[in-house]
Amino acid sequence: MNPALTARKVEFRYGDRDILRGVDIDLFPGEVTVLLGPNGSGKSTLIKILSGVLSPRAGDVLLCGRPPRSFPRREMARLLSAVGQDPPVDFPMTVEAYVALGRFPHQGFFGGTTSEDREQVARALDLTELAALRGRALSEISAGERQRATVARAIAQGATVMLLDEPTAFLDIRHRVAFYEVVTRLAETCGVAALVASHDLSLCAEYGERIVLLSDGAVAAQGRPERVLTPENVRAAYGVEVACDRNPATGAIRVTPLRARPPGVET
Amino acid sequence: MSRGRVETARFGTVLAALLSALAGAVVLSTATGPVSIPFGGFVDAFLRGGDGTPARILLSLRLPRALLGVLVGGALASSGVAFQALLRNPLADPYILGVSGGAAVGALTVALFLSADASPVLPLCAFLGAAAAALSVFLLARRRSGVSPERLILMGVVVGAFLNAVIMLMVTLSPPGKIPGALYWLMGDLSLGTPRRVAVLLPYVTAGSAVLFLLSRGLDLLLLGDSEAFQAGLSVERVKTATYLTASLLAGSVVAVSGLIGFVGLIVPHGARALVGSGHRRLLPAAFLLGAAFLVVSDLIARTASPSGELPVGAVTALAGAPFFLYLLRRNGGRS
Ligand SMILES: Nc1ncnc2c1ncn2[C@@H]1O[C@H](COP(=O)(O)OP(=O)(O)O)[C@@H](O)[C@H]1O
Ligand SMILES: [Mg+2]
Repeated sequence: MNPALTARKVEFRYGDRDILRGVDIDLFPGEVTVLLGPNGSGKSTLIKILSGVLSPRAGDVLLCGRPPRSFPRREMARLLSAVGQDPPVDFPMTVEAYVALGRFPHQGFFGGTTSEDREQVARALDLTELAALRGRALSEISAGERQRATVARAIAQGATVMLLDEPTAFLDIRHRVAFYEVVTRLAETCGVAALVASHDLSLCAEYGERIVLLSDGAVAAQGRPERVLTPENVRAAYGVEVACDRNPATGAIRVTPLRARPPGVET
Repeated sequence: MSRGRVETARFGTVLAALLSALAGAVVLSTATGPVSIPFGGFVDAFLRGGDGTPARILLSLRLPRALLGVLVGGALASSGVAFQALLRNPLADPYILGVSGGAAVGALTVALFLSADASPVLPLCAFLGAAAAALSVFLLARRRSGVSPERLILMGVVVGAFLNAVIMLMVTLSPPGKIPGALYWLMGDLSLGTPRRVAVLLPYVTAGSAVLFLLSRGLDLLLLGDSEAFQAGLSVERVKTATYLTASLLAGSVVAVSGLIGFVGLIVPHGARALVGSGHRRLLPAAFLLGAAFLVVSDLIARTASPSGELPVGAVTALAGAPFFLYLLRRNGGRS
């Protein structure tokens, strides 16, 4: 199958600091790819480049075979949605109005709100369990609820490629699981190609068909969870000792951090 | 009934209330003045097109003056809404960004040093001044990483202070006979030559407000911030440029015609937001009506409050505006 989004040898600098050094990535329709990597490894930068907010210094990004910036803006937004890392704290609108902004690529400046728009917004609110909060001001809900609203806005946008930057950072365990369920379902039923930046090492192994491990601006490992989530890879990227085994309940890779012990003390 | 329809119905009610308030303000303003006009005078003027003294006072003095208040107040409020969305900052208005100062310099250049009667091109020159000020603020605030709203406001304040000095210099150096008029105009006034000023201003305000209204969905998206608005499908730079130019045109043409009237562009958007929320399709019309009513009433106070003569309307808007603004800020916990 052709990838919906590809990046080849993408390089990026802030000032004269190399932030990304030759990153290759492919996102396939119907597949959830999880982007792992320590703080500052370049995940957010990569997502901004893939969504066209930043231009790479070198390398190519192709969305459905074309550079993202070559699309008219709204056409591109119908193909690709992206959610940044920081939910808007004092956005002066209700949750519902905020989620409805995701319909802009389908409406334009002058189009009215169609029943399709209303359905998509309602569906996005349902999927993120926000229906009960739809009339509340975005500034008057919790950080986790606000984060779900950003995901809902991306869902309402109805694009085939979804780039989500740490969408589970503020979520409790129930909503974390629910989030992965929802993206997986969107991938399976709507053929969405999703990229999820995350720090949920074990949870993403349950859901991510593919994991890309970013370390210091380069892809340290990518592939199936069992290939990427090894103690060596995790130590090299994050500098922590972990044990990796199979979760007996699900068979998925499980990553357990080991307590640091002072050198010389035997157990 | 769905929530959307409830909201639409509520918006309709608010809009109707604002329209009635505006109509009431215009009627009150037209009926009030040093010469009291009997009811017959109104009938004569508006129904029979009469040309007695009362009819002439009504048709060529008071009504145009009220209409000028409508246009000026509406335009300032709309421009304030646009700047606040553009900069994502509730403190933004044409003054803080130096736009009004630029417009004043542009208009003063023509009025003080060039031809005797330049009023038809005054709005254009004021717009050029406003656009030049807006552009320099924008370029000064620009960095490689983009334009941050904070820097924009900082640069606006600096450029605005500089322009104020230029204005004072220009007034001081101008032909002596023109100084009092220029000073009075600078403080904001709606008093002189109103029918023609209404005619000059009308096309600018109509076009500017219409363009902003057409951009309203884009303004909503701008509230998300540049990257998110871009990712949501907005041509951010284009919409920002169009908004910047249109809001400068509105503010510039108003300054050209009626001088520097402060506070309307700052507080009216907040009041309107408290009534109809932040979606610009509703906010823009509501702010226009509220700004219009506010300025018509302020002008009525300006010309009736003091027995010794008219106050500059700009003084009234600031006197009334500052406490009202504080009230709003406190009531909304500083959020609006
Ligand atoms: N606007 C910026 N200017 C300069 N450096 C930046 C900027 N944004 C991020 N960086 C740097 O780029 C690197 C990668 O950041 P980022 O992509 O946000 O990492 P991640 O999302 O993986 O935590 C970090 O070292 C960060 O300090
Ligand atoms: Mg990040």
